[in-house]
Amino acid sequence: MDLFLGVDVGSVTTKLVLMDKRKSILASCYLRTSGDPIHALKDGLRYIKKRLPEGGFIRGVGTTGSARHLAGVVVGADIIKNEITAHAVAAITRVPEVRTVFEIGGQDSKLIVIRDGIVEDFAMNTVCAAGTGSFLEHQAVRLNVPIEQFGELALQAHQGVRIAGRCTVFAESDMIHKQQLGFGKAEIIRGLCEALVRNFINNLATGKTIEDPIVFQGGVAANQGIVQAFVDFFRGEKQIIVPPEHGVMGAWGAAILAMEYVGERSAFQGFEVVERHFESRSFTCEDCPNSCEIVTLTEDNEVKALWGSRCGKWSPVTVKRKMGEAQEKKPIFESGEGSCPLSECRVHD
Amino acid sequence: MKATFPHLLHLDVALGILYPLLGIEIVPPPPITQKTIEIGVKLAPQNACFPLKVTLGNFIEGIEQGADTLFMAGGVGPCRFGYYGQIQRLILEDLGYDVQFVLIDHPRYGMKAFLDALRSMAGGKIASLRVIKAASLAWKVLRFTEDLEAQRRALRCQVEKKEDLDRIIDGAIERLRNIESVDDFSIIRKEAEEALASLVRRAHQEDLIKVGIVGEVYVAQETRINFNVERILGDLGVYVHNSVSTVEYVLHTLPLLRSREKLEAWEMARPYLKRFVGGEGIDSVGSAVRYAKKGFDGVVHLYPFTCMPEIVAKGILSTVSKDYNLPILHLAIDEHSGEAGLVTRVEAFVDVLERRKKRRSVTEVDVSWISS
Repeated sequence: MDLFLGVDVGSVTTKLVLMDKRKSILASCYLRTSGDPIHALKDGLRYIKKRLPEGGFIRGVGTTGSARHLAGVVVGADIIKNEITAHAVAAITRVPEVRTVFEIGGQDSKLIVIRDGIVEDFAMNTVCAAGTGSFLEHQAVRLNVPIEQFGELALQAHQGVRIAGRCTVFAESDMIHKQQLGFGKAEIIRGLCEALVRNFINNLATGKTIEDPIVFQGGVAANQGIVQAFVDFFRGEKQIIVPPEHGVMGAWGAAILAMEYVGERSAFQGFEVVERHFESRSFTCEDCPNSCEIVTLTEDNEVKALWGSRCGKWSPVTVKRKMGEAQEKKPIFESGEGSCPLSECRVHD
Repeated sequence: MKATFPHLLHLDVALGILYPLLGIEIVPPPPITQKTIEIGVKLAPQNACFPLKVTLGNFIEGIEQGADTLFMAGGVGPCRFGYYGQIQRLILEDLGYDVQFVLIDHPRYGMKAFLDALRSMAGGKIASLRVIKAASLAWKVLRFTEDLEAQRRALRCQVEKKEDLDRIIDGAIERLRNIESVDDFSIIRKEAEEALASLVRRAHQEDLIKVGIVGEVYVAQETRINFNVERILGDLGVYVHNSVSTVEYVLHTLPLLRSREKLEAWEMARPYLKRFVGGEGIDSVGSAVRYAKKGFDGVVHLYPFTCMPEIVAKGILSTVSKDYNLPILHLAIDEHSGEAGLVTRVEAFVDVLERRKKRRSVTEVDVSWISS
C-alpha cells in the first residue's frame, strides 16, 4: 500500500501526517517543537511508525514549515515546499470551493486568496508578528488560563474590552491597564481575540477582497474565541469553515504535494533516522567582512547539509576540516557544569 | 585629494574609470558587507531609509581606507534622497571626520552649483575633450555592466550550469576594473559576449515564468542588500527582468535622452498616477503596467521600508494588480529584514505563478521583445 508522509516543522509545533493514495489522513500527530525540531520530528516519526498499516510503504515525503529544509534533510524529502503553498493545497483539497484561507500559526499568519481552485494571491505578515498564536499563548500564561480554555472563556464574555492590538508589547500593556480597571478575565480574553482579528485584517487583508467560503486553519483555529471574533467581524455575513484537520493542514498539504511530485524512488531515509544522531553546529566564517554564520547539520558526525554561506565557498568537505579545527578550541561556556547560570532560576508558580 | 563614493551595484567600476581619467585619485569603498551595514545602521538616524545607512557605511569604510573627499549625488522633491547628502555630511561632521563633502546636484536645480561641484571634483581645471573621452568610456562600461546583469537575469533560468554563467559575468566585471582604453573594453566585451553565447541552454524556453522587478532605484538594484532576489528567482527557474537601472536613472534627468521604455512606462502610469510623487513612484506603477501588457506572469516590488514614494506606488499597484490580473509581491527591505521570511514569500509567489500558468493552457505571451 503506497503511503505518503507530510511533515510540517513550525516555530512552535511540529505536525506529521500519514496519508494514503486517496488523500485520506490515516494518522496524524501534533507536537510541540519546544525549540528542538529534530527531537520533535523523531517523536513524530516514532508515532507514525506505530500507526503504519500492515503492508504500508512510504512512497513519498514532503516537508514544509520554517524548518522545512532541516526536516527535509533529516527525513529525506522528495519535495520541500513553503508553508503558504502547502496550506493552500490542503485547503483546496478539503474544501474545493474555498475562496479565502486564513492561517494563523505560532509566529506568522497568512491570508491566501483562491479563485477557481488555484492560489491567486497571498499575504504573509511582514515587519511584525503581532497577533499570532505565540502572542495569545503568552497572554494565556499571564492570565493564568490554560490556552485550551481560552476560546471557551472568550465565548462567555458579554462584551469584549477594546485592546490596542497593533503591537504585541503595547497590546500587553493595554491589557494590563484594562485588568487594572477591573475587567474580568473573560472580557479581557474576548478583547484580545477581537484585537487579534483586527490586526490580522489590517495587516494582511489591505487591498484584497475577502470572499467566502473562508477556510480558517492553523493552530489558532482551535480557539473558539478567535473564530467567533472573525464571525463578528464579518457580522455573520461570511461563511467560515474550520476543518477538523485545521491543526495539521500544512503537513497534509506537504503530503499531497509529495504525492504529486514523487519520482521513481523516494528520498525517504526510513524510520531508522530516529536512531541516528543529528546535530546542528555553526561557526562564523571570517574570511570576508560578511561574517556569514555557517550552519551545518551533521548525522552521526557526517556533514549532511550546510546553510548560510553567501559566497558558496563552503562545501561538506571544507566544513568538516573547519569543524575539526573548531573542536580543539572549545568555548568557555561549554566546559563548565550547569552551563547556563539561569537554569536554576524558578518563576513563581 | 583621495575621493570615495557610495556603491550602487557596479557603479564603482565605471567611476573607477571616470575619476582617474579626470585626474582624480580615488579610493573605492570596500564592497558592501554585513560590516558596512552595521556601521551605517549604528551612525544613521533610526528612521532614515536603508539606502542612507548603507551608503553612509560606504563613506566610513572609504575614509578608513584613506579617502578625504566624498562624492554624493543630491536632489530635491518629495523623496528623502535629496537630504541624504546633507544628513550624511552632518553626521560625519559630528563624528569629527575632516573630509570634504562634494554634493553633486542635478544641473536643473542650479547650474552654478553643479559646475562648482564639477570643478572642485577635478581640482579646478577640466579640459573639455578629456572630460568627454573619460565620460564616454565610463558610460560605456556602466551600460555594459548593466547589460551583463540583464543577461544574468534572463539566462539564469535557462543555462545548464549556473556557475558558468556567474563565472563569465563576474570575471568580465572584474576585468573591466583594470581597463585603460576603449580597446581594452572592446576586447572584454567581445570575449564575454562570445562566452555567454556558447552557454548551453535548456530546451522548453517558451513556458518560462517571467517576473519583472520594479521599485526604488537603490534597493531594486543592489543585490547585496536585497538578498539577491534576482538570484533566488533565477534558481527557481524564473526569467527575470529589472525595470530599474542606473543608466536609466541618469538618462531620465536628461529630457532628450529618455529611453523608450521609460517614456512608455510613464505613459502607462498616467491612468493611475498623474502626479510626481518623488523617487521612482511613477516608474514603479508604470513599469508594472508595462510588464502586465508584455505578458509577464508577475511583478516583484522592492523598496526600502518606510519609503514614501514606493508606499504611494504600493497602494496604486493593488489596483493595477486587479485591473490586469497580475500578481505583485511587495518586499520592504531594511536592516531588520530576514532572509528566511523573504525566501518563503518568494518561493510561494513563484508557486502561485506556476499554478496560474499551468491553468492558462493557451499562451498569449509576446516574447519577441525580450531579446531586444
